[in-house]
Amino acid sequence: MSEFLGPLDSIGRVPPQQQTRVAAFLISAHGALARQLAFALPQQMKAGWQTELNAQLYRESEIVSLMMRATSWVVDPELLMLTASWESSWLPKPVMGLNDNALALTIDLAALGHAVHAAIRPAALLPEKALAGDAFVMALRRIEFESGRVMQAQIVFLKGHDLLPYRDAVNAAVEQRHRQVRDLWDAMLRGIGVERAAKG
Amino acid sequence: MPFLALGSYRIRYELEGPKEGPAYVLVNGLTQYAELWAGYRAALVARHFRVATFDLLGQGASDKPGLFITQDDQVAALGLLIDQLGDGPIFLGGISFGGLIALRYAIAHSDRLKGLVAMSSFAELSPQLLLLGNALRTGLILGGTSYLQDLLLPMNLSDAWLGPQLGNLDAIKRQGWLTNDVYALQNLMESFLDFKPLTSQLGSITVPTLILNGEFDFLTPRSLHESLRVHIKDSALVIMPQAYHAFTLEKPELTADLLARFAEEVLAGKWKGGQSVWIAPEKAGGALIPFPPEQDHLRAIPKATVPT
Repeated sequence: MSEFLGPLDSIGRVPPQQQTRVAAFLISAHGALARQLAFALPQQMKAGWQTELNAQLYRESEIVSLMMRATSWVVDPELLMLTASWESSWLPKPVMGLNDNALALTIDLAALGHAVHAAIRPAALLPEKALAGDAFVMALRRIEFESGRVMQAQIVFLKGHDLLPYRDAVNAAVEQRHRQVRDLWDAMLRGIGVERAAKG
Repeated sequence: MPFLALGSYRIRYELEGPKEGPAYVLVNGLTQYAELWAGYRAALVARHFRVATFDLLGQGASDKPGLFITQDDQVAALGLLIDQLGDGPIFLGGISFGGLIALRYAIAHSDRLKGLVAMSSFAELSPQLLLLGNALRTGLILGGTSYLQDLLLPMNLSDAWLGPQLGNLDAIKRQGWLTNDVYALQNLMESFLDFKPLTSQLGSITVPTLILNGEFDFLTPRSLHESLRVHIKDSALVIMPQAYHAFTLEKPELTADLLARFAEEVLAGKWKGGQSVWIAPEKAGGALIPFPPEQDHLRAIPKATVPT
């Protein structure tokens, strides 16, 4: 097990099998966010937050499109089972303790978005010698860089005044989604020989 | 890797040195992690101290809450670590944000400490520091950890240190970039959103206190350290020559030596704070020089002291 993707080939590219698994996971997670945002957006037309939501919808679509094109794909039969498991994990789960079901679902969507953009750091998997100009390497760096900004939509909403009365429920939802996303990400990485250093 | 339990969160810590020795607890700056104290551990253990370091909540290998971190959480984590150290003498040191956490602990628990070292620290947010903090947070949000490091390195380290490292900066930044996450750093920065000045509470710090301030510290300049000196009765301000905000990284041998000498003086009953002002030596082991009393230590240009 290594903390990083590899071993790299002679010019510094990530093995295609690892590219395939990482890309499939990212497409699944960001694709799910894009789909859920597309449904949530019409319900938020009066909210200031919709500006951020709208931007995020297109960023998520961009990530999916980028990974599809930048990845050196190989056949990976295990993805059939893995993808089904990942997809079921992204299904909406209304936050407990709120009477307003629409708000409970929106908080869950924001919590999932926060977890996907905060807990997944694809560029941190790249070894120092990864080929800087390689499409997959550049895509991972781009996704991690953009995540820092995209995450702000979630932070503005989840830390906003409107949700202060529900702070404990919001906090619990975010922590639960973080744990879930981290566990799935770590399990996927172990499947391709990558073990992240112990972190919080 | 041992952990402390702070509620449902884990705090990663490290203890090194003789169990019976006096303890030194060192608190990280906001963008740091415990391994940056490795040189201090070795130097202080060699002088028979037991050294405790840890990653703050939201840093390094400690848990990183998704949304909310308060400074009270950090003080509580520090308290848990200090509780591990038994009843022997305890010295507490912190740099920058860690200095603020150490001050907060000392305000509440002076009786638990034998001495305090506040390095590049502050008890209030001056307009400059407030605006710089906001700008750094925006830089983090827009440009990520790497951009924040790009801002902090030239702000906090000298040309003498940066010059030879220019070709190696990416490697130097990489470990910090790998260790700390954007959202967690943002949470740490946002723990200042409801910050209340501590100045009026500094009088509660009754233990000997060494205040270390880089000569050219731009982020937390002399005036913020002066506020600590004036309000902490048994204090001494020591100006680190040719140093900026991050002198613990730039001058580890000198700083570790000053920390050890301070504790040794306190333990030997030889410490005389008296709210005095000193100039640190250029190198470890050198003599401290009293700041010329006829000169104003708050000014960069020679200026006679205004009688009070």
